[in-house]
Amino acid sequence: MDHFPTNWGRPRNDAYDAYGTHPIPQRPYNGHQDAFADAVQRTQQPIVTGTSVLAIKYKDGIMMAADNLASYGSLARFKDVQRLHPVGQYTVLGAGGDMSDFQYIQHMLEQLSIDEFTCQDGHNLGPAEIHEYMSHVMYARRSKMNPLWNSLIVGGYKDGKRFLSYVDLLGTTYSASTLATGYGAYIAQPLLRKAVEGREDVLTEEEARKIIEDSMRVLFYRDARSLNKFQIATVTSVGVNISESIQLDTSWSFAEGIRGYGAQTQ
Amino acid sequence: MSIMEYNGGSVIAMVGKDCVAIASDLRLGNQALSISSNFQKVFPVTDRIYVGLPGLGTDVTTLRERFRYRINMYTIKEEREIEPETFAHLVSSTLYEHRFGPYFIEPVIAGLSKTPSGGVKPLIAAADLIGCLNFAKDFVVAGTASTKLLGVAEGLWEPDLEPEDLFETISQTLLNSVDRDAFSGWGAVVHVITKDSIISRTLKGRMD
Amino acid sequence: MPDMTSLAHPQQRSFNPYSENGGTILAIAGADFSVIAGDTRQSEGYSIQTRYAPKVFRLTDRAVLAVNGFAADGNMFVKKVKQRLEWYRHAHSKDMPLRAIARLIQTMLYARRFFPYYVYNILGGIEEDGTGAVYSFDPVGSYEREACRAAGAAQSLVQPFLDNQIYFKNQTPALGTSHPAHLPLPTVLSIVIDSFTSATERHIEVGDGLEMYVVLAKGRNLQGLEGVRGMQELTVTDDGERVFVVRRDLKKD
Repeated sequence: MDHFPTNWGRPRNDAYDAYGTHPIPQRPYNGHQDAFADAVQRTQQPIVTGTSVLAIKYKDGIMMAADNLASYGSLARFKDVQRLHPVGQYTVLGAGGDMSDFQYIQHMLEQLSIDEFTCQDGHNLGPAEIHEYMSHVMYARRSKMNPLWNSLIVGGYKDGKRFLSYVDLLGTTYSASTLATGYGAYIAQPLLRKAVEGREDVLTEEEARKIIEDSMRVLFYRDARSLNKFQIATVTSVGVNISESIQLDTSWSFAEGIRGYGAQTQ
Repeated sequence: MSIMEYNGGSVIAMVGKDCVAIASDLRLGNQALSISSNFQKVFPVTDRIYVGLPGLGTDVTTLRERFRYRINMYTIKEEREIEPETFAHLVSSTLYEHRFGPYFIEPVIAGLSKTPSGGVKPLIAAADLIGCLNFAKDFVVAGTASTKLLGVAEGLWEPDLEPEDLFETISQTLLNSVDRDAFSGWGAVVHVITKDSIISRTLKGRMD
Repeated sequence: MPDMTSLAHPQQRSFNPYSENGGTILAIAGADFSVIAGDTRQSEGYSIQTRYAPKVFRLTDRAVLAVNGFAADGNMFVKKVKQRLEWYRHAHSKDMPLRAIARLIQTMLYARRFFPYYVYNILGGIEEDGTGAVYSFDPVGSYEREACRAAGAAQSLVQPFLDNQIYFKNQTPALGTSHPAHLPLPTVLSIVIDSFTSATERHIEVGDGLEMYVVLAKGRNLQGLEGVRGMQELTVTDDGERVFVVRRDLKKD
């Protein structure tokens, strides 16, 4: 038995290390480091991971979705994790990638919100400010060769303006009317673009919800690290709303008809 | 080290109005060292077909002789000259025969095929080193300056150019492209094939 | 049999702090103007991240900077250059001259010599003597002043075309005539648009949108710019150099 989830799902080479004793999952080392402690020690890899986050703009604001799964390699380890996080009154942050790094980010933003609140200067952090802040944090960490291993989508609605933007572990940022991280970028993004581009100002909440649900269903069919239990967040003039977990009805009867791979004999 | 860049060299072909043009540089190098400024890589196949063979120098010579042999055999057996399209497929199958140990050449073909009404139809084609054919309507490129050729040709080429205008277009495209390529240059040669004549000119280019 | 010595040790897969985000930028200097352009597609691998991510930025009324390469580095670099220019403004009550911005950029790039900004910079604008200028940089700060330069994914497609059309390379003027040293603005804009449509046609990382910034020297008329579709003025100060942007669509496939 290979006990290390980072090896799971990969072909194993029995010519060496038949018991799968390495690689031992790398953890960041925070102790004393001398001048020669280079990138190798700090290099890490994601351990408990979340998959895609989807987000679109629609008539009244923005809509974002992420499932409730946190995987440990190929093991579906935690099945009730919330990956959509409200920040202040105008913003939602969705995260894929390492979930412990995401929790660290949540704490960081919590502290930021407290500090801002304490100021009582009449200013409130909006989605643009949260995104700018996160992009600087992510870029600073990658520049220290000690990244926060996440793909983040920041969405929000403030002063009558919709906001949707992305930032990842490299500090790369961009915005568009449809965004998708992870496998969603390959599988859901084309569906979202087809449904949303050019219709941002006319899509109703019901239509937006249908588009998101259909995309999440396709992702559940094709992404092996996904779950058919997810949440949808909206940010509108009313404020932030993150739904209870939603179960999608799926149909697997078509699987009977698949031929060509698997354990069939004909 | 890439074998495709060992000797350097580039070829381009363009379609005009009832004419085609094919051109190449004249450099033969040993990596960064230039050896010859008169290394031909474009050869006549018939009165109306030319083939350009950029790539590994030794394979230029080998393939030229192979094609000469196969064209002669075809002419003898069929008792007629080969058509450009047929020749393109001959090139393709010759290369694909060596699918897992290929000749390091990306051939470019330019020719005029006969139409039933007695006119001519321009045909150009390029293949990769294992014979995947690309029949283009405008232009084809190959060799170490291929990306440059592609960019310049896309900017300069236009449909239905008369022979002299086609000559100017292909010459400018080639010269300006090879001037930005360290592995191509050292002079150039251009052939424009028309219904009743072939214009062949050797161009003076930068020698650095 | 696999190589046992290399397999016997755990392989390290170190974190790669860089990425490539495609796109192309280009700048051309005229006698009393400068054009700085870039496409707006941002990609990673075969995925288009967004169809609109600007790569060209107005620094002052006489300087425009185009950045290409790793987008995160590019955006951060532009931010830091703008910050330094603001400090200069506060210290000296005027905008930094173009050649000084060029030297500043070289210093800032070289400061990161051993962990470079993976960015190719092209700076365009108007010099203190009123001439149009283009400065191009490599990622660690080597730079020179030129009349035209292309950089980025389609550099190899565009630069030889520019050599031919701007520098008239390989073209001999008719007897008793000579090539113009500088081209008029409408001609330059046409060449820029042609360059980008060509690059879009043949390079998958180029497309979606085109932004062309035009910087005009002090007191010059619009030189035909007034008729250009999609033109917008960005000038902040009075009676100095003027900055404009022209936006065009490129193919989205």
